[in-house]
Amino acid sequence: MMHELEPVREPLVLGNPSMRDVTARIASIVESKISLKYLLTLGFTATMAAWGLFALYYTITTGIGAWGLNNPIGWGWDITNFVFWIGIGHAGTLISAILFLWRQKWRTAINRSAEAMTIFAVICALTMVLSHTGRPWLFYWLLPYPNQMQMWINFRSPLAWDVFAVNTYFTVSALFWFVGLIPDLATLRNYVRSEIAKKIYGVLSLGWTGSTRHWHHYEIAYMILAGISTPLVLSVHSVVSFDFTVGIMPGWHTTIFPPYFVAGAIFSGFAMVMTLLIIAREILDLKQFITLKHLDNMNKIMLATGMMVGYAYGMEFFIAWYSGSDWENWIFQNRLFGDYAWAYWTMVTCNVVSPQVFWFRKLRRNIPLMFVISIFINIGMWFERFTIIATTLHHDFLPASWGYYSPTWVEISIFIGTFGIFLTLFLLFAKFVPVIAIAEIKSILPGAQPAHHHGHDEHAATSSTTSAEVHS
Amino acid sequence: MSDRSQQQSNGTTWKSIEQLAGTATGMEQGEFSGDVTSAPVFDSTVSRRGFMALVSASMALTATACRRPLQKLVPAVKSAQTVTPGLPLDYATVYAQRNVAYGALVKSREGRPIKVKGNALHGSNCGTTSSEMQASLLSLYDPDRIRRPRVNKGASSYDVAVTAIANAVNEAQAAGKKAVVLVDEHCSPSFAALMTDVTAAAPAVSFVTMPPIIADGAALANKALLGINGELVPDLGKATVIVSVDNDFLGTDKLAVHHTGRYAARRTPSIANAVMSNVIVAEAGYSLTGSNADTRVKLHPSQFEAFLAVLEHAVGVASPVGAALVGSADAATAAAAKNAASSLKAAGSQGVVLAGRHLSAKANAMALNISNALGSVGAGKVIDPAHVLPYSEAKGDAVRALLADMQSGAVHALIFGDVNPEYSADRAFRTAMAKVPFRAAINMYEDETAGARISAVSIPAAHWLESWGDAVAYDGTRTIQQPLIAPLNEGIPSLQDTIMAVAKKVNGAAFGEMTTYYDYVRSRWNAAADEAAWTKALQDGVVASATPLVSGAVVNAAAGASLASAAAPAGRVLVAMPSLALYDGRYANNGWLLELPDPVTKITWDNVALMSPGTAVGLGLAASTEPKDVIKANEHVIVVSTADGSIELPVWVQVGMADNVIATQLGYGHTFTAAQSAVGSNAYSVAGSGNTCAYTAIKNIEVVEGKRHRIATTQNHHTLDDGNGQRPVAKWVTLGDIKAKNLHSLDTHYVEAEDGKKAGRFGVPLSITSDYEYKGHRWGMVIDMSSCTGCSSCVVACQSENNIPVVGKEQVLRGREMQWIRLDRYYVGDMDNPHSVVEPMLCQHCENAPCENVCPVAATTHSPEGLNEMTYNRCVGTRYCLNNCPYKVRRFNFLNYHTDQRSPLDLVFNPDVTNRMRGVMEKCTFCVQRLHEAKYHAKDQGRSRVNDGEAITACQEACPASAIIFGDMNDPNSRVSKMRSNERSFVVLPELNVRPSVTYLAKVQNAAATPATNGHHS
Repeated sequence: MMHELEPVREPLVLGNPSMRDVTARIASIVESKISLKYLLTLGFTATMAAWGLFALYYTITTGIGAWGLNNPIGWGWDITNFVFWIGIGHAGTLISAILFLWRQKWRTAINRSAEAMTIFAVICALTMVLSHTGRPWLFYWLLPYPNQMQMWINFRSPLAWDVFAVNTYFTVSALFWFVGLIPDLATLRNYVRSEIAKKIYGVLSLGWTGSTRHWHHYEIAYMILAGISTPLVLSVHSVVSFDFTVGIMPGWHTTIFPPYFVAGAIFSGFAMVMTLLIIAREILDLKQFITLKHLDNMNKIMLATGMMVGYAYGMEFFIAWYSGSDWENWIFQNRLFGDYAWAYWTMVTCNVVSPQVFWFRKLRRNIPLMFVISIFINIGMWFERFTIIATTLHHDFLPASWGYYSPTWVEISIFIGTFGIFLTLFLLFAKFVPVIAIAEIKSILPGAQPAHHHGHDEHAATSSTTSAEVHS
Repeated sequence: MSDRSQQQSNGTTWKSIEQLAGTATGMEQGEFSGDVTSAPVFDSTVSRRGFMALVSASMALTATACRRPLQKLVPAVKSAQTVTPGLPLDYATVYAQRNVAYGALVKSREGRPIKVKGNALHGSNCGTTSSEMQASLLSLYDPDRIRRPRVNKGASSYDVAVTAIANAVNEAQAAGKKAVVLVDEHCSPSFAALMTDVTAAAPAVSFVTMPPIIADGAALANKALLGINGELVPDLGKATVIVSVDNDFLGTDKLAVHHTGRYAARRTPSIANAVMSNVIVAEAGYSLTGSNADTRVKLHPSQFEAFLAVLEHAVGVASPVGAALVGSADAATAAAAKNAASSLKAAGSQGVVLAGRHLSAKANAMALNISNALGSVGAGKVIDPAHVLPYSEAKGDAVRALLADMQSGAVHALIFGDVNPEYSADRAFRTAMAKVPFRAAINMYEDETAGARISAVSIPAAHWLESWGDAVAYDGTRTIQQPLIAPLNEGIPSLQDTIMAVAKKVNGAAFGEMTTYYDYVRSRWNAAADEAAWTKALQDGVVASATPLVSGAVVNAAAGASLASAAAPAGRVLVAMPSLALYDGRYANNGWLLELPDPVTKITWDNVALMSPGTAVGLGLAASTEPKDVIKANEHVIVVSTADGSIELPVWVQVGMADNVIATQLGYGHTFTAAQSAVGSNAYSVAGSGNTCAYTAIKNIEVVEGKRHRIATTQNHHTLDDGNGQRPVAKWVTLGDIKAKNLHSLDTHYVEAEDGKKAGRFGVPLSITSDYEYKGHRWGMVIDMSSCTGCSSCVVACQSENNIPVVGKEQVLRGREMQWIRLDRYYVGDMDNPHSVVEPMLCQHCENAPCENVCPVAATTHSPEGLNEMTYNRCVGTRYCLNNCPYKVRRFNFLNYHTDQRSPLDLVFNPDVTNRMRGVMEKCTFCVQRLHEAKYHAKDQGRSRVNDGEAITACQEACPASAIIFGDMNDPNSRVSKMRSNERSFVVLPELNVRPSVTYLAKVQNAAATPATNGHHS
C-alpha cells in the first residue's frame, strides 16, 4: 500500500484516519458485543490453561516424580519453559522502553500488545519456576524476609538472583504497562456506555482528565519508567543465563551466555509478538495501524538477533575448541552428534537458517511466510534452551552417571497449560483493554506533527498530546 | 471414668451434686488437694500428676517396646551392659548361611535390631560383612513372612500344626515308611546333633540336606584325593599366584567375604614394596573375580578340563590326574595354560589353582593336584586340609537316594525345613515330591513349597535374628547364635524348636526335660552350667577352637586319575550361576538386594541372559560386534531350551564372555504372591540335575519376535559406546609402572613437596581468598581402588545405616535409584576381553563444593569439620545442586518413597537418621550421626578430639577388602592423612578445583609397565 509519490517514508497509519476515527476504531473493540467466535476461542484457551493447571496440581500432590526427570538430569522442560517464557517477555520491554527512548515512532502501534505479552509471559515463567521445586509450598523461602529461624537466602546463588531479577521485571513491566494505559483507560471511561464498565475504567484511569498538568506528569513518569526498564532488557536474561554460567558444567560455564541469552530473548520475543499480531491484525482488523512497515521492521530485528544467536552458536564451538578443555570440547561434539542431536539441529534450522529469508524485502512483507517463520523461531528458541539444559546434564563428567531424559504427559501438559494461560490472558486483554495505544498512535498520524504538512491540516493543527484528550 | 475411686477416697464427703453424679471434672480442686492425689492413678479422671505418671510409664514401655526373647541376652563387651533408652546396644551373634559362619554384631535400639555389622573377633569375616548378611535384616521385618501356622486351607494354632506333623510321622513309623526332613546346608554343630537325636528318638525320621544349589565337584575331588568329604578353604593371603578356573572366589563363593579380605591384602603394592599377587582367571562368563583378574583367559567351558590338564602337564606334576585330557586342548587354551603354568612354577608353594566347585570332580582333582605339586597343600600352606567348610559334604547321592525313595513310595511324609524345592529342585524331584502322601513346610514365606498346593501343613520358620543356635567356622571357631528379638510372627519359634516339638510329640521321652532349642544349645555348650563362661561366649560372640585344627591328609593323585572326566559340551551352552545380589534366592523378597546393582552388569531387579557380542551376532540380534550394533541386542527376549526345560530371558550383552555361552542368574522368578520377588525368571528350571551350576547344552534358542523386556540398570547408557573419548576419571597403573616409579599419570594436578612425595595439595590455587582454616577435625576419606573388588557390601551398608529407600524397578528405569554410594564400573582394554576398574563414587565433600553456592536457600552448606552438609528441613528442592555436582552423587526424592512402607518394615529404620520426604535432596553425609556419636564419647571421656579409628562410616565398617579409610585429615598421624599422600593417590576431576575430601588410590594391575596412556572406556 505504498504511496507512489512518497518513496522516502511510509506512513505509519494508513487510510488517513481522523483522531476521532482512531478512537472509535480501537475503543469499539471494547464496546462491541462479545462474539461467539471469541467465546469459543477463549473457551479453548481456557481449557488448555485448566488442563495445565490440573497437571500442576497433580505434580504438586504427587511430587516431581510425576515428571521424567531423573538423577543426572535435574532440570528438563520446567526450566526450559521458564527461560523460554522469560525470553518471550523481552520483546515487549525492548519495544516499549528502548525503542521509546530511541524515538522509534513505529513502535506505538505494537507496544501495548507487546507489553501485555511481556506481563503474561512473565506470569507463565513464574508459574514454571514456582512449581518446579520439590516442595513448592515453601516458595517464600526463596525470598529474603526476617524470620524466627534467622535464615536468609543464599545471596551467592544465581537462583536467588533470579528471584530478584524476575520479580523486578514483573513489577516494572506491570507498572510501565499500567502507566501507559491510563490515558487510554480514561478514553474508554468516556467512550463506553455500560455504567459498570464506566465505573471500572473510571477507577483504573485514576481520575485522568487529560489536563496539561496530567500529561506533563505522565510524560515524565513514562520516561522514567522507560529508563528503568531499559537496563532490565539486558539484565533479566543476563541473570537468567547466570543460572547456567555460574554452574561448572561443561556447556554451561561460559562467558558468552549473557549477551547470547539477551539476543535470543529479543529474537524469541519478537517472534511471539509477530505470531500474535499477525492473527490480531486480521481478526481485529487493525491493518490500518499495524502495517506492513511494522512487520517489516520487526522482521529486520529478528534477522539481526537471529544472526547474533547464530554467531553465538558458532562462537561456542570455537571457544570449546580454543579452551583446550576436553570436557567442553566433548560436550559440543555431543550436541552435534549425541543423543540430543535432533534437538540441536532443530534449533539451528529454526533459528539460524529460517530467518535468512528476511534478507529480501519481498519476503519480509510476505505475511504467510513471516507467520510460518515466526513459529519456527518460537520452536527453535524453545529447543535452544532445551539443548543447553539437556545435553549438558545428560552426559557430564563421569560416564557412569550418564542418563537420558524424556518428558512425561505431565510436563507436556504443563507446557500446553502455560500457552493456555498466556493466550487466555491475551484474549481477555484484546477484548477489554485498548490493544493499541490510542493516545500514542494519534501522535504519529499523518500530519500529527506540526512540522509535517501532508495536506490534512485539520489534524495537524492539534498537538499530539492535547489531541488524545477527550472524545466523548 | 469412674466415680468409684473418688467416692472411696472421699469417704462420705462430697462437694457437689455433679460429683456424685460422676460428672465433676475435678478441675476446681487444688493441685495438691488430698482427695485427688490419693486417688489411684489408673482408675480416676486423669489429674496432672496422674497424667505425668502415665506418661512416664508409657515412656518406659516404649523403651522396651519390641518383644525381647525370654532368655537372657548378653550384649557385646564394648557397649553398656544394660538397656538405656536412646542408646544403641550391640549384641554378638552369628550369621550362619550355607556352610559359612560370619560373626555378627547386631545393633539394637529399644529392642529392635537395626543394623547388622561384622564381629571383628570372628576370623571368617574379621568385622566386615557381605551385602546379603546385612540385607537379611530387612527380611526380618518383611511383611510378607508367614504370620501363623496353617493346616490344610485354614489358619491354625501352632500346637495343632505340630500335632498334624507328628501324626504323619507316627503314621510313617507305623507303616514302616520314612518321614524325611529336608534341610538346607548349615554349619551348626547343635543342629547336626539335634538331627541325630531326633532320628534316635523317632527312627522313622531321617534328614536330607538339600540346598538349592548343589555343586559337588570340589567335595568329591577332595574325598577322592584327600579323603575329606567337603570343600576346602584356601588362604588367599598366602598365595602370590592364583589361577582360577571358573572359581568366582570374590563373588559367588560361599566364603567370598573371607576371600576378599585375604585377597585384598595382597593387592596394594607401593614403590617401597612393589609386590602383589597375580590373579589369572580362566572363565566363560564375566565374573566378579574375572573382572578383577590381572590376566583373564576367555574359555569356552568345554575347554576347562583341557586347560587344567595342560596346566598340570606344563607345571610338570609327577603323577598327573588329567594326562588323558591334554590332547583335547585347542591351541589358544594350551598357550594360555602354559603361560599360567610358568607363573605358577615361579610362585612355587605360593601358587594355587582353584577350580569352581560346580566343575567336575576331575577338574577339581586336577586343580588340587597341581597345587599339591607346587607345594601349596599342607598344614600352614595356602590350602590347609584342616580348613574345611563344616558339613560341606557332597549332597548329590543323598538327594538321589531320596528321589528313589520317593519314587518307590518309601516316603510317607516330607517335611521342608526352611527349604524350597518346589522352586529350586529339578523336575524329576518335584514330580516325585508330589507322590509323597503328607507334606509339611516350616518356611519363612508362604512360598512355592509352603503354599497350600504342596504343603498340607505350614508353620512359620523364624528369622536368624529371632532364633537361638550355634555355628562353627571352617577354622573351628564356634559361635552362639543369639536372637535379638522374639519372633515377630505370633511368636512361633525357630525351625529347630519346631522339629523338637514334633519329636517330643512323637516320642515323649525325647530330649528329656529340654523343651526349647535354647535349652538344647545351651546344654551342649555348657554342660557344666557355667554361667560365666556362657555369658562370656555370648558377649564375645566367638569361642576359638581350643587347639588349632590339624589334618594329616595327603593328596593321593592316583585316586584322582580314576575320576571320570565330565567336560561341558561343545557348542552353545547355558549356565545358571548364583546371583551376586540374591545368591540362591533365599532372600528373593528383599528390596535391598533386588535393587542392589549387580557389580558387573549393574542390572537391578532382573536376571538376564548374558552373552558375548559374538553370540548376539550369531543369534541375529546384532548386525555386527560394533558397539552401536551390539547394544541393540539388549532387551530382546529369547527362550532358551535345554534337556531340562526352557526359560524366557531378556538378552544383555556382556563384554569379555566366551562365545556360545549364555549365563543367567539363580534366585529370581519366584511365583508366590509376595509382590517384590516376582521379577525375572526361575533359572532353576534349566539347571542341571545333580549340579545346579553345570554348563548344559542348549537345544534351541528362539528369539521372541517383537517382545522387549526393559532392564533397569544403574549405569545404563553407552556402556559399550566407545565414542566418548578417554576420560581420566578412574585411574589405574600397572605393577610395572610402580616398579619403574612411573606414576606421573596420577598426579597431574598435585604440588610436589620437597621430598618428591605428594604434598596432598592441589596445584590449582585459583582463589582470591585464603583457605578456611580447620581448627578441629577435618573429615576425609581414602578409597583404595586396588583393594576394592566391587562386591557392593558398602552399598547395602549405607542403605541400612542411612534409611535409604528402595524405589522399585520402575523408578530405577527412570534413573532414580537412591543409593548414596554407587560403584562406577569402567572397562579397560579392548571390548573382546576387557579388565574393569571399580570406582566407588559417593559425595566427595568438596572443599569448594559447587553444590553449596548454587542453593538459593542455603540448604547445603559446609561444616567447620569439612563436611558438605545437607539440611533436609531447609531444602525446597530446586535440584540446582544436583545439576551442578560434577560427580552426580546427589539423590533427589522424586516421590515419597518412604510412605508406602508396610508395617513392620518401618521398624528397620535407624532412628539416628531422618527419613526424607519427597522434594528433598539427599546424599552421603559421611555418616554424620556416627561422627556425632564418636564426639559424644570423646567428650564423655574429657577429650576434645576423636581419636583415629573411633569414627567409622558404615561403608568402611562393612568393606570386606578394607578399601575404605576414613578419618581426620587434620591429624597428620591419622591413617587417612598418611594414605592421602600415598604415591598412588589421586582425586577425581582435580582440574575443576572443587577439592574433594575423598582421595582415591589407583587400581594396580599386575602387568608390565604400560605406555603412558591411562585411558579406559566407559
